[in-house]
Amino acid sequence: MSDSTTSAPDCKPLLWLAVALLLGLLAGCGPATVVVDGDFPPPTMMKLPLTLGVWYDKDFTTHEFFDEATSRTESSWLVTTGQAQVEMWDSMLQGMFRRVVPMTGKPAPGQMNPSVDAVLIPEVAELQYAIPAHTNVKVYEIWIRYRFQLVTTGGNPIAEWTMPAYGKTPTAFLQSDQEAVNLAAVMALRDAGANFANSFARVPAVQAWLQQVLGDQQEASL
Amino acid sequence: MHTIIRVLLLGSAVALASGCVTSKVDQMVFNEPTEGIGSATVVILGRRHASDYDTEPDFVECVGDHISSGDRSIEVIGELEFVNQFYPWFEPRTAPLQIADLERLMVRQPVVAEKLASMNTQYMIWIDGSTIDTDSSGSMTCAIGPGGGGCFGFGTWGSDANYEATIWDFRESAEVGRISTQASGQSYMPAVVIPIPIIAPVQGTACDGIGDQLLQFLSSEF
Repeated sequence: MSDSTTSAPDCKPLLWLAVALLLGLLAGCGPATVVVDGDFPPPTMMKLPLTLGVWYDKDFTTHEFFDEATSRTESSWLVTTGQAQVEMWDSMLQGMFRRVVPMTGKPAPGQMNPSVDAVLIPEVAELQYAIPAHTNVKVYEIWIRYRFQLVTTGGNPIAEWTMPAYGKTPTAFLQSDQEAVNLAAVMALRDAGANFANSFARVPAVQAWLQQVLGDQQEASL
Repeated sequence: MHTIIRVLLLGSAVALASGCVTSKVDQMVFNEPTEGIGSATVVILGRRHASDYDTEPDFVECVGDHISSGDRSIEVIGELEFVNQFYPWFEPRTAPLQIADLERLMVRQPVVAEKLASMNTQYMIWIDGSTIDTDSSGSMTCAIGPGGGGCFGFGTWGSDANYEATIWDFRESAEVGRISTQASGQSYMPAVVIPIPIIAPVQGTACDGIGDQLLQFLSSEF
């Protein structure tokens, strides 16, 4: 009497390998994503004796840009700047004002919000870039035009102005494309902070408001 | 006899491994510290306000390293560390172009003056310039096949380095010196199967030239 047993080969490892390969291939089809990550030091400056509210719209906190010539899904690369924008502006505003309070909702009549002297609403109005295909060197350049609104908690406008920022990869030596574009974006954000710190009190409508809330003496020292 | 030939061949190879560089250094300094700078610190920063070039961060680091290694008693504050400590006042957009601009900043923002005093910084050295590749010529062809690969051809290019260091003395509130260096050289890349780069150390020569002059100014040992 013979006894033979046939058992199917264990295909599980092969199956997992195939799934992993497929996932890897699919991931390779997606755009190369750069989540901007940088060092945004707190500013070294005299704080304005004011409590500033800040409201970031969803478009601002999730801001990203990709190849203009294609749609978001077709673009071969995607740069996410929203998180870095919030980090930089939080750090900058906390260093510029005595107190910074995030708002619970966009300032508007009837909207319940903490009591503050004014609310700042930053917005990325426009973004342009130059990539190595345009410049022939591994140097990325980014231009951002911000639009700021300074409003009361009830949403009444105090001032509205725009401000440019620019950043480019400081060195093209031994850098991956991801590192190069990240560095350009970080430089643009640092430039935005520097420009804001330097120009905030010089915006005519802001100057008039500061004169009103702080008086001539304090405003003159800004 | 064979030993002499080997030594001559080795010497020729070493001489050929780096291309020729010619350099020129000019300096004009006043109020040179005769006893060195003592416990004071020095900061070296690169100028980045021009639209068509940036002073390379690695060149600024090279000059700092040259000074620190030449006289261990001189404390050179790193560029990035300093710029972050004083953010946003030394960004490309906001960096003072004249010592009078820095004095105005210290009056407007006393916290900047306090921080500079706490770091005991006596000298701020601004380096302005860049290294560029000039004329290039030659051609090279590379191929790869089942039996191996290789390149054949010859390429050559020139490099020019132009830098100027401006020394600000905080205690005297004055510009106390300017040192400029120019270096140029030709690099070669012959390829017979393997490309052999013979690079002219143009930037390194400029770094040594400007670093030596700065050492003579700052150090009591030179």
